[in-house]
Amino acid sequence: MLKIKNLTKSFGNIIALSDISFDVKSGEFIFITGPSGSGKTTLLRLILRDLLPDKGEILLDDIEITKIDKKDIPALRQQIGVVFQDFKVLPERTLRENVEIALAILGVEQDKWHDRVDGVLKMVGLDTRSELFPSQLSGGELQRVSLARALVVNPKLILADEPTGNLDWETADKMMDLFEKINKEGKTIIIASHHEGIIDKMGKRVVKLEKGKLTDHKSKAK
Amino acid sequence: MKKMSNIHIKTAVSNIRRSPFQAIAAAFVLSLTFFVVTTLAILVYSSNKILYYFETRPQIIAFLKDSVTSESVSALQEKLAGDVRIKDVNYVSKEEALGIYKKATADNPLLSELVSPTIFPASLEFSVKELSFAKDIIEEVKKDPIVDQVGFTASLGPENTLQDTVERLKTIVWYLKIGGGAFVLVLTASSFLVLLVIVSMRLTTRREEIEILDLVGATSRFIKSPIIIEAIIYTLIGVILGWLISIILTLYISPSLISYFKEIPVLPIDTLKLFGLFGIILLGEIVIGISLAIAGSQLAVSRARKV
Repeated sequence: MLKIKNLTKSFGNIIALSDISFDVKSGEFIFITGPSGSGKTTLLRLILRDLLPDKGEILLDDIEITKIDKKDIPALRQQIGVVFQDFKVLPERTLRENVEIALAILGVEQDKWHDRVDGVLKMVGLDTRSELFPSQLSGGELQRVSLARALVVNPKLILADEPTGNLDWETADKMMDLFEKINKEGKTIIIASHHEGIIDKMGKRVVKLEKGKLTDHKSKAK
Repeated sequence: MKKMSNIHIKTAVSNIRRSPFQAIAAAFVLSLTFFVVTTLAILVYSSNKILYYFETRPQIIAFLKDSVTSESVSALQEKLAGDVRIKDVNYVSKEEALGIYKKATADNPLLSELVSPTIFPASLEFSVKELSFAKDIIEEVKKDPIVDQVGFTASLGPENTLQDTVERLKTIVWYLKIGGGAFVLVLTASSFLVLLVIVSMRLTTRREEIEILDLVGATSRFIKSPIIIEAIIYTLIGVILGWLISIILTLYISPSLISYFKEIPVLPIDTLKLFGLFGIILLGEIVIGISLAIAGSQLAVSRARKV
């Protein structure tokens, strides 16, 4: 599904990624791990076409992401669900509206929003809190809003950048259970995380980065 | 499509609610602009009507000699009617001339009792399509053997001041158009800048939201739409308020204007035509306003970020 080939990206003198190559199969669940500054977020931003690489290729379903037109970037992003460490929810909209906005962007007819939003809110356990505003929700709940927004568009691929970074252990664990459940429904998931405990517990394939280089690439037993 | 625009309208309205003072400032400046635009449009309409009235009313009267035959009068009438510079040629007989005199002196019957049709000359009355033709035509008509004298309607004064009067009127209308146009241009530029500043401020406060929308796949159009709709709402409020105030003032002073200018139609007397004129002005202003809003918000968005 996703092929990364010889990817290199630097910011001035700082090399964020150096000659990275790996593949992700459809329906796979992988972790990208490494210490802060190892290039995890840069890699996700490159997949999302928020950045352009200096060298290398990224193929999503055989489409070369780095070569698509600027006007086609929204269409690419609409196929990818993104969960951010800092949630990135819209503070002035209710939880329901935050999820609905993704459907509006996709151009889904408004009469179909209610059922789809209810479905994902139920899945993430926020169906009773849909009319609350982000300021009325906890960090864990906000992260689930971010996940619900990513899921509601039925994406091919879910990218999550440190989704447990701002959460306590128990909430992080529940969040990972959610990702596991979503993955079992057939979604491809790539999570950037440095949370060793979580990664060990999940027992998924791990791509380890260090100073922008791929240092380890393995599957861990659960 | 309709439902998509609903969400953009909802976002725009909630943005306006969040910053009511910015909205009031924008609507106020735009109201002022469109008040001036409406007033100026009415002034230009009225002054054009005044000019047209003076340029096209029957101005030249060729008084005929008593001895003329009806054939020679018809020949001159046909000659004048065939001239492309001349319009509305009318023959006024001695009897008709007496009738006009009697009508004019109706409040003093003694004056009309003392006269008979024989003392009034028959005449040919006509107007020119443009006053600049008048001088040459007068000279030509004077040379005709059946013409005794050539005169002008009293309101335009003697022959030598005719051109001056019209030139003065033309100059006034020209200054009105140029001066008013420059004033409107300055106000429009100010309104454009106010829109630009307000949209830019809105973009600054919405920077995070725009970034999020961008990352989750919103198109440039999706991001821009609420911003453009918001600017259009300000402009429509400005247009309607400015137009309404100007129209109320015009309607308030129109009886005085109509009675002052009497037969000169400075404003349409028919209510339907009057509101037709106001409607055309409103329509024009809406088109200008929406163009202004779209251009202002597009410029602000393109300057603020690469959406």
